[in-house]
Amino acid sequence: MRGIHVYILIAAAILLLVSANGMNQYWMHVSIMAMVYSILTSSWSLLAGYAGLFSLGHMAFASIGGYTSALLVEWFGIPIALGMVAGIAVCCLLGAFIGWVCLRMSGPYLAIFTLGFSEIVRITFSTEDDVTGGMAGLHTKPIFEDASRLPYFYTAFVLLAVSLALMGLLVRSRWGLFLRALREDEQAAAASGVAVARFRILAFAIASGFAGLAGGFYAHYIGVLTPGIGALDYMALLVVMTVIGGMERLPTAVGGAIVVEFLLEILRGYGQWRLPLFGIILLLTMRFARNGLLTPLWIRFVRLGEGRIAAAPAVAEVQREDSRA
Amino acid sequence: MNERQTLMHGVGLSKRFGGILANDTVDLTVAEGDLIGLIGPNGSGKTTLINLLTGHMKPDGGEVMLRGQPTGGQPAHMYAAMGVARTFQLTQLFARMTVLENLLVPALTRPRSTWAEASRRARGYLEFLNLAHLANLDAKNLSGGQQKLLELARCLMLEPAVLFLDEPFAGVHPQLRDELIKRIQELHQAGRTFVVVDHDMESILRISQRLVVMARGRKIADGPPAEVRADQAVLAAYAGL
Amino acid sequence: MSWDYLFIQVMNGLVVGVIYAMIAIGVTLIFSILKIVNFAHGDLYMLGGYCAYFIIKLLGFPPVLAMVAAMAVLFVLAIILERLLLTPLYSDATERKDEYGLIVTFGLAFFLRNAAIIAFGPFPLKPPSFVEGITEFGDLRVTNDRIFAAGVGILLILALLYFMHRTLWGQALDAVSQSRDSAAIVGINPRRFNSLAFGVGAALAAAAGALIAPIFSLAPDMGVLANINAYVIVILGGMGSVVGSALGGIFIGEAESLFTAFFPDPTRAFAYTNAFGVLVLMLVLIYRPTGLFGRRHLRME
Repeated sequence: MRGIHVYILIAAAILLLVSANGMNQYWMHVSIMAMVYSILTSSWSLLAGYAGLFSLGHMAFASIGGYTSALLVEWFGIPIALGMVAGIAVCCLLGAFIGWVCLRMSGPYLAIFTLGFSEIVRITFSTEDDVTGGMAGLHTKPIFEDASRLPYFYTAFVLLAVSLALMGLLVRSRWGLFLRALREDEQAAAASGVAVARFRILAFAIASGFAGLAGGFYAHYIGVLTPGIGALDYMALLVVMTVIGGMERLPTAVGGAIVVEFLLEILRGYGQWRLPLFGIILLLTMRFARNGLLTPLWIRFVRLGEGRIAAAPAVAEVQREDSRA
Repeated sequence: MNERQTLMHGVGLSKRFGGILANDTVDLTVAEGDLIGLIGPNGSGKTTLINLLTGHMKPDGGEVMLRGQPTGGQPAHMYAAMGVARTFQLTQLFARMTVLENLLVPALTRPRSTWAEASRRARGYLEFLNLAHLANLDAKNLSGGQQKLLELARCLMLEPAVLFLDEPFAGVHPQLRDELIKRIQELHQAGRTFVVVDHDMESILRISQRLVVMARGRKIADGPPAEVRADQAVLAAYAGL
Repeated sequence: MSWDYLFIQVMNGLVVGVIYAMIAIGVTLIFSILKIVNFAHGDLYMLGGYCAYFIIKLLGFPPVLAMVAAMAVLFVLAIILERLLLTPLYSDATERKDEYGLIVTFGLAFFLRNAAIIAFGPFPLKPPSFVEGITEFGDLRVTNDRIFAAGVGILLILALLYFMHRTLWGQALDAVSQSRDSAAIVGINPRRFNSLAFGVGAALAAAAGALIAPIFSLAPDMGVLANINAYVIVILGGMGSVVGSALGGIFIGEAESLFTAFFPDPTRAFAYTNAFGVLVLMLVLIYRPTGLFGRRHLRME
């Protein structure tokens, strides 16, 4: 018997889908971008929040997914869906490879290495412009010939829902437990029988695959692809979104993406100050609410939904968190 | 008495760190049902030996045999899968996972395990170690002694053939220590094999059937406690610190 | 390929190398003492450069004095930032300190970079020269600023080494970098030295920024590339080794310059030059996940 909170979420989702038709094109675009970012933040939280692998190469994979799909579609005329699947496959394989290469690297070294990887990808895409269009941009084939963004909205929604469902399954399974054990203490995990190498590689492969999905969709939505999306600025934004929301859970990572993306648009009037502002919010969050700003809200929401009125804990700090997703 | 099966066999194990030979051709045989106390002055290489025997480090020389088969440089988790469990000198738990989850991890790494069965077994061990009321607490919120018990439980979840305990009595207050000793003895009587490293001589002597002494990377004694304690080389090693 | 061209490239490499070295030394110092990688270090370098620029423009200081002033300003700023943001690293209640340091400095970098774009504008700014004019070596000409930058840079690095080995404070710093606990026992207050390390690292980076500015101009994103090169260098020369970082910096600077000189396709050469350092970095990390010469990476917990 599921808690009420699940039904509330489903109802909200249905409401959103139904009312989408009435949205104006601008906010629809913002919503679509929020959903794309949500796929990126939730998959990054799999890597960094669950498995503890602080990779700065996530947007590079999105970029690879996008370019792979766009170029394959352009050169071989394959349907976009196939192109996107190819993009995901490439990202999974490359992600696994990077995960393997990084096996012996920890913490900041992993971050630096993946940062380097991301730079090489960006530089390569930028420089080989006869293939990729470089900084001028690559024109991609759109998914829908429609002038309206509505079909993109529905597609993004479906992609996000499917992604979250799959990631949720992973996180609630024993594999999810093993990934979290990796983050807590790799040695203890090995001593408990967790195949550390295998799961690190798996985490990278899966997360990168989802990044490739987001990148592929984005490429065929936005119409023009530049190497900039793999750049550090976007990766930094991803980190900001995920950490502010809460990097240790999927729903809070998604929440972070949605909230930050919408706030960025709402605050557009304040011009460039939006970005440094979020920088400060990130710093404050890390300093005073390291779990993320949305995490306490989410926990309360779930508890309410499961009908558990906070009974006074007999022992201090009882944290009953059945759903780590 | 039936001849007991040899579970583990470390042959000529050597390990070097930079200029230091932490383990110098150490041989150790662990038979089923043993309760071995592994002692020695600080820096004698006891923890390194445990690391080598549990797959956390690869030996520079020699090899480890498990039930007669060489383990051949497999990673630590394979040792765990094959029934070799260990605790760490400084308790290493999954701090922000609950006590129950800490136990579910090793249980679920076993093939054909189910959540239901794992939960049941976990709760069983928690009862056995008087930790049941803490099941939903984050592991970091346990006291030091409780954490050590939890680490022991984590080993047991693997249904291990042999348990290596690295300084289980360190920093544990006497009451809890006695409880720990009782549990180890109960488990031993039920058929489990232990290798226990510690500096708490009193506790080690209470539980050990066999003492192995190391000094400066070498094994200098191996036998029944009475014999070992009278051994000149052992006395010299401890005295010459 | 003429010898002249080669000479110019080597000179350039030296200048760039010394600048890289100064930034890398800061990263390595902060790593030794605070045990975190400062992802915002390149942005402190950027700020230092801009600071000197505005001190010249608004206060009318001569460039050399402005550089010193910028070093002082960044020193103080760094200490403030360290107190504000990094104190959780010293509390036992903080978990996963590695990750904390990573995210916080990363966030700081994000903030500084974007704030700089707004505050200073996105267009490059160029401060006046330290030493006007050009020196001639036979047929070759080298701008005096480059010679000045390399020279002063080397002097500052040597000064730092002297400080660390010959003065009481410097030796204390060295002691803390080797063992916080032992240092505390001897009566050294590690917290003070964290601030000192952060401050000194920032000051050195600020000097680098001020020195390079008349040569290559200032831009808000100049810290990004500097960061990456700094990581390449500390990992090559040793996370925790000041001398290693100094030598590594010069090596990378020269290697980059020569790479540009010899890369077959001139149109791509510059772009791939940046990738060169990164590629080296990645290869080193693959073979030695803790760098080539550095002290083993010590986790804070």
